[in-house]
Amino acid sequence: MRNFNLLVLNEWLKISKKRSHVIPYVILLVLSLVVGYISHTFGTDMYASAAEFTSDMLRPTGIGQVLTILVIIGTAGIVSREYSQGTIKFLLIRARSRTAILASKYVTVLLYTLSMLLVAVAALFLSGVVFYGLSGGEAGISTILTSLLYSMVYCAVYATIGFMLGILTKTTGVTIGATIFATMIDKVVIPREFYKYVLFPNLDLSAYQNGGAPMQGMTLSFSIVLLCGYTALFLLAGFAVFRRRDVA
Amino acid sequence: MNSFTRSNQGLPGPGTEPAVLEMQGVSKVIKGKAIVDNLSFEIRRGEIIGLLGPNGAGKTTTIRMMTGLIRLSSGDVLVHGQSIQKNFKQAISQIGAIIENPEFYPHMTGYDNLRQYLRMSDGAGASRIDEVVELVGLQEAMTKKVRAYSLGMRQRLGIAQALLHSPKLLILDEPTNGLDPAGIREMRDYMRKIAEVEGIAILISSHMLAEIEQICHRAVVIQNGKLVTVTQLAEAPEARSEVSLAIRVDRLEAAQTVAEAVQGVKVTGMDEARSELHVHLPDGTVPELVAALSEAKVGVYRITENRQSLEEDFLKWTGGNRIA
Repeated sequence: MRNFNLLVLNEWLKISKKRSHVIPYVILLVLSLVVGYISHTFGTDMYASAAEFTSDMLRPTGIGQVLTILVIIGTAGIVSREYSQGTIKFLLIRARSRTAILASKYVTVLLYTLSMLLVAVAALFLSGVVFYGLSGGEAGISTILTSLLYSMVYCAVYATIGFMLGILTKTTGVTIGATIFATMIDKVVIPREFYKYVLFPNLDLSAYQNGGAPMQGMTLSFSIVLLCGYTALFLLAGFAVFRRRDVA
Repeated sequence: MNSFTRSNQGLPGPGTEPAVLEMQGVSKVIKGKAIVDNLSFEIRRGEIIGLLGPNGAGKTTTIRMMTGLIRLSSGDVLVHGQSIQKNFKQAISQIGAIIENPEFYPHMTGYDNLRQYLRMSDGAGASRIDEVVELVGLQEAMTKKVRAYSLGMRQRLGIAQALLHSPKLLILDEPTNGLDPAGIREMRDYMRKIAEVEGIAILISSHMLAEIEQICHRAVVIQNGKLVTVTQLAEAPEARSEVSLAIRVDRLEAAQTVAEAVQGVKVTGMDEARSELHVHLPDGTVPELVAALSEAKVGVYRITENRQSLEEDFLKWTGGNRIA
């Protein structure tokens, strides 16, 4: 276990030693304040409190989407850059299995996602306090946590897609492009029966809030099972390819 | 000239201990074409081996298979008796390698880069970094980002990285690439040192035949993925019975007559322009010839040995193909 933690530390350092790594966090902070300012100035009392503002904005339909894009950009290169830099050779001739190395990278992607989400929550709450104040409304900490969970699922699935694409294509650009394209079209609903088995309509679990559903005949547990299935599939494909691939 | 003896005396021969590296009928077939074809050879403790071959001979593919970067189509690679396929971790922990160019994380310092690899190896403490850095002489550059490194500095950092976990076998792909003459010499001395003192076996693939000739005990020559020959480069002087000499004299004709009169001496040619006589004779006859020449009052200015260089041999083996 200690060995694995050290691998994760290695991956985290590779990301955080970049001077540009603070930029996405700064973007989240600035964006939260701007959104708060705009909604406060031009909207007419849209939110009753900081908690309501935070939980609404955090969803995949709000800041959650921007956050997902930032996570994709931040982590798309975690595998592919090793190939393009040529560092993959030194990485794979260590007394560590390829599975462990790749798993440490995936864990790092999830940690990065989590760190971004926590910064987003803090930034949004700060913005909410500034523009809407602490008291009032019905929303509380549990509402925020529910929203956080929805965003976390949405973001983690996309991060997994990006992770797999990075392994398969070995190109950072293609990975970022394809995944961001997916985030853009995932709101489109094709009103056909088969579409509910596609990944996209199942991604935003917040659609089930207040008894709704993205499409007829879909339930929360249906979506959860489907998301787990897809995620497992993506990871399986990624690990299978990475373990077997010749490094030329 | 060269004080370093290439003879392998004192080292246990094969059979007394397992070879550091054993290639057993290794093949790599890609799309029906054999890139490496049934290659077998072995490397023993403290040996420096050159891997030679023309372009596309399969040198890099061979090295990649040794280090587990690519799969073997058939055969096996044993490192200290451990299969790189079945016991990858045990096998690879005995290998330190630079494959093609040494590439590091450019946004991190040399020190941070080495620490990355230290975290991935077992049983090496932080002090080991200082040791290897001192060995390759990079102390001043360690706090600089690798982006600012010259190729020579990256090459040294590559060696440091390869030695970090104290391997038994060092695999170097073109180790003197990008080094200046002083650096090449230093690298050569250094490689001899680690081979002799620490008993680390070294496999070097290189363009430079002269380089291989100067440092290696044996050379493995491959072409089209097949083993052409394994040649002993470290012949002991006494083992050679015949020598070819070029003798620069003042009176060429007289010298020729004298030389032909000495038993065992064969005059192979004359170079009028340089006033040189080319002879082929048994090693033991050389003093006799020199004595005969001075007796006949033929002035001798130079005696040089015409050794067939590795390059000539190489071209002969590989049928004049261009050198990789």
